[in-house]
Amino acid sequence: MDIFANLALGFGEAFAPQTLLYCFIGVFLGTFIGVLPGIGALATISMLLPLTFYVPPTAALVMLAGIYYGAQYGGSTASILLNLPGTPSAAVACLDGYPMGQQGRAGVALLMTTYASFIGSSLGIIILTAFSPLLADVALSFGPADYFAMMLLGLVAAATLAQGSPVKGIAMVLVGLALGMVGTDVQTGQQRFTFDIPQLADGISLVALAMGLFGVAEVIASINRMGAGQKAKEKITLRSMVPTARDMMASTLPMLRGTGIGAVFGALPGAGATIASFMSYAIEKKVARDPSRFGKGAIEGVTAPESANNAAAQTAFIPTLTLGIPGDAVMALMLGAMIIQGIQPGPHLVTEHPELFWGLIASFWIGNIMLVILNLPLIGIWVKMLSIPYRILYPAILLFICIGIYSVNNSAFDILLVLIFGIVGYVMMLLRFEPAPLILGFILGPLMEEHLRRAMLLSRGDPAVFLERPISAGFLAVTFALLAWALVGLVRQQRAQRRAMVEAGP
Amino acid sequence: MKGTRDYHDIIGGTLMIAGGAWFSLYALNYNLGTLRRMGPAYFPLGIGVLVVLFGLLLVLPALRRPGGVPRPELRPFLAICAAVLAFALAVERAGLVPATLVLTALAAWAERAPDLRLTAILGLALSARAVLVFTQGLGIPIPAIRWSL
Repeated sequence: MDIFANLALGFGEAFAPQTLLYCFIGVFLGTFIGVLPGIGALATISMLLPLTFYVPPTAALVMLAGIYYGAQYGGSTASILLNLPGTPSAAVACLDGYPMGQQGRAGVALLMTTYASFIGSSLGIIILTAFSPLLADVALSFGPADYFAMMLLGLVAAATLAQGSPVKGIAMVLVGLALGMVGTDVQTGQQRFTFDIPQLADGISLVALAMGLFGVAEVIASINRMGAGQKAKEKITLRSMVPTARDMMASTLPMLRGTGIGAVFGALPGAGATIASFMSYAIEKKVARDPSRFGKGAIEGVTAPESANNAAAQTAFIPTLTLGIPGDAVMALMLGAMIIQGIQPGPHLVTEHPELFWGLIASFWIGNIMLVILNLPLIGIWVKMLSIPYRILYPAILLFICIGIYSVNNSAFDILLVLIFGIVGYVMMLLRFEPAPLILGFILGPLMEEHLRRAMLLSRGDPAVFLERPISAGFLAVTFALLAWALVGLVRQQRAQRRAMVEAGP
Repeated sequence: MKGTRDYHDIIGGTLMIAGGAWFSLYALNYNLGTLRRMGPAYFPLGIGVLVVLFGLLLVLPALRRPGGVPRPELRPFLAICAAVLAFALAVERAGLVPATLVLTALAAWAERAPDLRLTAILGLALSARAVLVFTQGLGIPIPAIRWSL
């Protein structure tokens, strides 16, 4: 089998000392920020993007990916101990994890989440390994029109499937596309929207945009929310973590179901880990013989969603690595990191950079094993970290952002850019706009324009090409169906609101 | 509350209409080209028009829908902005250590009750870390302190 030769290549790459080191840094930081509420994977990956300028591509991507799936492991710790999710996808773990902690079973909950995370991730990686090369092969036959249609579908799906209003989601994608236009036009050399500022000639820096939207804005919004650090009352010993045979039995099937749900949702653009974990919790509650146990410390309520979000974190790499279509903002940043390194994302990645592709996949295995080690014997350290007050953390985060962005070009202008996008991000937060679709649009915008132009050139200006090619027509049909579905949902929601208003009225 | 509209979407949509309109008009400074051979203005113009359209889609329903007013937290907002701005202005003129101290000091005011002693310790600790990790470790060319102002 080809796959084994490829995996061997991958492990060779991933076991290189430097890659191994960055993998460890990634999963360590991932667990750290996953445990801590108030700083997420997006902010951290944005903060570490400047490092990708100094580190070889494989090591850089291995590290950034490690932060992402490491955060999925750490996220449930704060949920269980403090009833405060460390990451959005761990919010579900509060529902039954915190009651478990109250019943003195916090240790068991922590062990089971790590176990569930490992199962979910492992199965997710197997799916990723098996399907990615197939999908990339199919995508190799895509023409420019097909690409354009696929990116359109990716953006519309990301905007309509994510939380919140689909209109706002699409609006943010469009704003992202517009920001992506700034810089030199590749085909004509025309400077667009640069206002004669030389620093904008290469476009708005992705690093500055991401740091502003996810870093600075998050700090501003978190200060009043976080307050002083909280102490976890319990001391978690290894002995207190041993689950009963019943815990294990009751978790096996839910973990497999959770993994299945997570694997599907992770691979879909726009859905991702958070939705997968909520979905998996809802399904467990539905199939349970006694649904009333949920919310009172049911072990399935912790393990199933935990498997789901970890599986989703792994399968999210499928469309990103094989098609060059990021499913969420984290994946968009991963693509951005590749572009910074001069690697063109898309189906050619597997054949042109096999060492990167397979090295990354192999590093997921290594990283997940490191995570189990980090999370089980060392859980005490993470619990202690929960008591770090936010007033110490946020100046450090800000400083890291400022020095990080400065180091990219040694230019103070970039710090000002971060400030501007921080303000934009905070205003967006106030107006309840999601920044994630914006990043997707920003990354895909220039690629979409290029494919559109190429498609039109090839078809001699005949837009019918999008409908004549079966692949592109298929993508457009799904896009249209998604939009129609979102519209129906919107109309129904507005009707319900109006009815509610009439009933509430005199 | 009666009588309040959903100001989140009204403000957001209006900003989008204004921004999108400006973006489209500005794009017309460049060569539009034809559908077959698109110029640098073609794609941005299309996006700008769509931004305006979605701005309208946000504002119009929001006008008839009850909702709240966004409540900014001015104190953290201003303090953090000032901290980042001060760092940007200070880092090249004065060096890494003064910039770090200024950033820490201003950022502390984001809290309702800043702890000045903690801030002083934090500022010094962060300065030391920044110099060790970035200037010494990664070799980023910012001097710790620029003496000749």
